[in-house]
Amino acid sequence: MPSKTPGQAPGKAIIAIVIAVLVLLALLVPPLGGDYYVHLLALVFTNVILAASLRPSLTCGQLNIGHSGFMSIGAYTSALLAKHFGLPFELSLLSGAIVAALVGVVIGYPALRLRGVYFAMVTVAFVEVIRLIAQIWVPLTRGMSGLSGVPKPNLLGITLTTKASQYYLALGLMLLILAILYKLERSRLGLIWRSIGMADPLAQSLGVNIAAHKLLAFMIGCFFAGVAGAFYAHFIRFLFPPEFGFLMATNILVYNYVGGRGHFVGAIVGAMFLSLLSEPFRGSAYETIFFSIAMLLTILFLPGGLITLPGKLAGLRSWRAASAPSPSPAG
Amino acid sequence: MLDVKDLRVRYGAVEAVKGVSFSVSAGSIVSLIGANGAGKTTSLRALTGLVRPSSGEVRFETASLLGRAPHEIVGLGIAHVPEGRRLFPKMTVLENLKMGAYRARRQKDIASTLGMIYEHFPILKERGRQVAGSLSGGEQQMLAIARALMSRPKLLLLDEPSMGLSPIMTAEIGKIIRQINDRDVSIILVEQNAMLALTLAQYGYVLETGSLVMQGNAQELLRDEGVKKAYLGI
Repeated sequence: MPSKTPGQAPGKAIIAIVIAVLVLLALLVPPLGGDYYVHLLALVFTNVILAASLRPSLTCGQLNIGHSGFMSIGAYTSALLAKHFGLPFELSLLSGAIVAALVGVVIGYPALRLRGVYFAMVTVAFVEVIRLIAQIWVPLTRGMSGLSGVPKPNLLGITLTTKASQYYLALGLMLLILAILYKLERSRLGLIWRSIGMADPLAQSLGVNIAAHKLLAFMIGCFFAGVAGAFYAHFIRFLFPPEFGFLMATNILVYNYVGGRGHFVGAIVGAMFLSLLSEPFRGSAYETIFFSIAMLLTILFLPGGLITLPGKLAGLRSWRAASAPSPSPAG
Repeated sequence: MLDVKDLRVRYGAVEAVKGVSFSVSAGSIVSLIGANGAGKTTSLRALTGLVRPSSGEVRFETASLLGRAPHEIVGLGIAHVPEGRRLFPKMTVLENLKMGAYRARRQKDIASTLGMIYEHFPILKERGRQVAGSLSGGEQQMLAIARALMSRPKLLLLDEPSMGLSPIMTAEIGKIIRQINDRDVSIILVEQNAMLALTLAQYGYVLETGSLVMQGNAQELLRDEGVKKAYLGI
């Protein structure tokens, strides 16, 4: 990657325009699209939050296959607090996120000392344990009957009754969280996360307290997974333990890999692309097959994820352009 | 400045360092030489807390280093250029340097240290935005040393800085090591290239399979028949 200072200014402007256009389009969905698209896209936005919030620990090199467990904790905490104690949405959402983050610290403190696949195994066990607790603790969660009657979200005392208003809430939450996570990733903290992911003994020898930083990254991810869960609870208004199982956790991971882990945009692209394309199969057995095929195709043909596709295509084109005229002078 | 007494490190059943003692006085270059597996790297790793010694004593200035975490030891003013993977290959040169100043809190300090580093290593300024993995072997070694200097250490531990470098590049690195030492940074130099190590150092220690077998003035060691035969190939 040679230095390319002149190319950078227009690059930034283009990115700003693309973001503005996308946000504008997103704002126009409720008045122009039907209720179906409003509902679908609000769920896509929660998936984007989940995928992006996995990045801090992925960047540290931690394979977390239990993210939906933290979503579940956020969802149940917020739903129960709002339903039984009448907590306003802002507070119940925050409580859900904080509880998810605290559980993240409790799980992460011992588990993050494990490396590679051992850590991943702990997170898999965790997500199943959370699912089982939600199923078995019937007096609190209603178990497999599902927790129904979760209040609609409200803001500053005003209940958001329409799907459109809830959609805007989801959009706002997503944009806010993406901005925070992006800022973090570009900060000194993000540099440290990358250093741990690339070569943790080296980072350690430079004086990075890798255990503390892994835990912090993990906790930040759990917090935002809790936010996504809390929104989901008040949006769907019905919580069913298997929804937050292992399958959901792997999906969040697959969003990141298919989108591409090399850049922040990868998580967003992956979550949008896969949750929209998998929509026809949602809830059926084909959903798993779809995600498996998407993952396999990525590993085989686009190891860097969808975000590397434009570069690959450009490379292909220049390779063709270079190889096409070369025979003519020879002949 | 640094006093190591009877340091022992074991990896499971194997004792890699069997009671080694050495010391470094302020402003000097000390080298540890010896063949592969002599325990040089392990000794360094024990100093910076990357492995835990089973017994022994390590004093740096007034502090005891034993049982401290690596990040505390870096904070005391010791920087380590480890062997093996020395850089973050996918980070830019500048990002690698910033990682070296990880302990420095103030941006102003980082900027002034960076200025000093660029004086010594102009090539790194030129390559600032390039990915570290794309540098040549010699440039990578320079970057690794420069990054260690970013923490403004009082003591620098260099593990095999000449490994894999051409003779010309090795000489260049030797010059840089001397320049660093001129700025009052003490250095422990671990090398298989005993000729380089002993021409740079004032004092040398010879390790064999985890034990200290000889020590002395670097000049005297260079003239010693045993050292000549075993390590200098003369």
